[in-house]
Amino acid sequence: MVHTGMAKNKRQPYSVSEKAGHQTSAESWGTGRAVARIPRVSGGGTHRAGQAAFGNMCRSGRMFAPTKIWRKWHQKINLGQKRFATASAIAASSSAALLLARGHHISTVPEVPLVISSTAFEAGALRKTSAAVKILHAVGAGPDVEKVKNSRKLRAGKGKLRGRRHRQRRGPLVVYDPAKDGKEMALAFRNIAGVETCSVYALNLLQLAPGGHLGRFVVWTSSAFAALDDVYGSTTEPSELKRDFLIPSNLVSQPDITKLINSSEVQSVLRPVRGGAITKRGTVQKKNPLRNKQVLLRLNPYAAVYAKEGLGHAKVKGEKPVPLDEVFEAALMEN
Amino acid sequence: MPIQQENLSEDLIWEVVRHRNAYLVKRSQAGGVQFSRDPLNLVNKHSRKHAGFVNAKAIGINADSNTIAMTTKTASNANKPAKSTHSSSFSASTPSRKIYKNVVSSTAKKGYRSDLRAEAVARASAVKQSQRETGKGPQKTRELKLRGAKARKAAEAGDA
Repeated sequence: MVHTGMAKNKRQPYSVSEKAGHQTSAESWGTGRAVARIPRVSGGGTHRAGQAAFGNMCRSGRMFAPTKIWRKWHQKINLGQKRFATASAIAASSSAALLLARGHHISTVPEVPLVISSTAFEAGALRKTSAAVKILHAVGAGPDVEKVKNSRKLRAGKGKLRGRRHRQRRGPLVVYDPAKDGKEMALAFRNIAGVETCSVYALNLLQLAPGGHLGRFVVWTSSAFAALDDVYGSTTEPSELKRDFLIPSNLVSQPDITKLINSSEVQSVLRPVRGGAITKRGTVQKKNPLRNKQVLLRLNPYAAVYAKEGLGHAKVKGEKPVPLDEVFEAALMEN
Repeated sequence: MPIQQENLSEDLIWEVVRHRNAYLVKRSQAGGVQFSRDPLNLVNKHSRKHAGFVNAKAIGINADSNTIAMTTKTASNANKPAKSTHSSSFSASTPSRKIYKNVVSSTAKKGYRSDLRAEAVARASAVKQSQRETGKGPQKTRELKLRGAKARKAAEAGDA
């Protein structure tokens, strides 16, 4: 909900011209002329004369309910809700499962949340995009960057003409502390497809949960990660930078239901299971003696010997039957 | 104040991702079937039990260059994606029954997702079956129509 509202706050007003469809001096002909009472263009001499005007159903008429620049473009969202959403999105970015569910390629990432030591960025050490690409590959974010590169597609529809020519996936979000890491690194990262950078003091929900889907792959610099404590405080210590803000505390301290059920506290107050570990079957189950060896032996004890000696596939002993000679057949036919 | 526990349980994650995730394939046919493309899903069905990326322990059985690769998740390395899976593969000469036995003895028999015993064996069997040579020689395949200059160039590079 917060995301839906926030996504609307970058919109620019648009509308059709106020005058569109009304730049004619058309008047209705009234009744009695066997034509509809819609305003008609006056005068003569052109084809336009006598044609209907103004209405939304008319050719070169005004549109239905012309769009106005004073539409309600932006949404006000309560600060508390925005902070709650951002804090949740940051928490979600530390769950590998949620990252995978968002579609990030993280199989080579050593750990989430992924933190890079700030010494790599110290005093503008990272100025070049090639170095930035190298560092992303070194920390295992390479596959995610490659995924973005391969995902670049031409957008369907008119958006192509409106500055949204391509669609592509979102890659890692690099969060840094501008005071300690410097701002040069943002320049180094900005031309890598899908990679975005953000200051830890201005984290943005639209970047942390693009499309409203939690679990953006975030690469933190160590100073940015340390700064999180100042920016967000804790559940008991209020934040230094956000007035009256405490990290939302858990509604339940143990959300794992299986763990709750199996905990000794719960198990100790449950009544014991009725019956024992082995319960007697209510109805006797019929077993197939052809499949179940034990049942077969109960019915036919000889089956054991039969199987052991391999009588089922023993060759028939003795010689092959000798074909009868012709004399025998002739003698048979004579009678 | 109670002690803070790990506050992202599997159940919670499942509730977050069950309606949309990168692996989910939704189709309106057949009453709105939902499948999963998760490599750690043994039956390719979208369900809590089989969602490999959600569960701390999961088994994946897939075809690989050798024959069959079995992947399991290491529960203790949940937040270390590079180390969170353990994979082993069976050579082409391993008999099917031995594969099934290995699959079971390295998972269900050790108390690792014993609820997936039958599914694991069934999938191993299905993968093995799909790799069996039919003896009919190469099947006739429809010639693919390549779309786009990039694809054509890639195909030419492949031929050369």
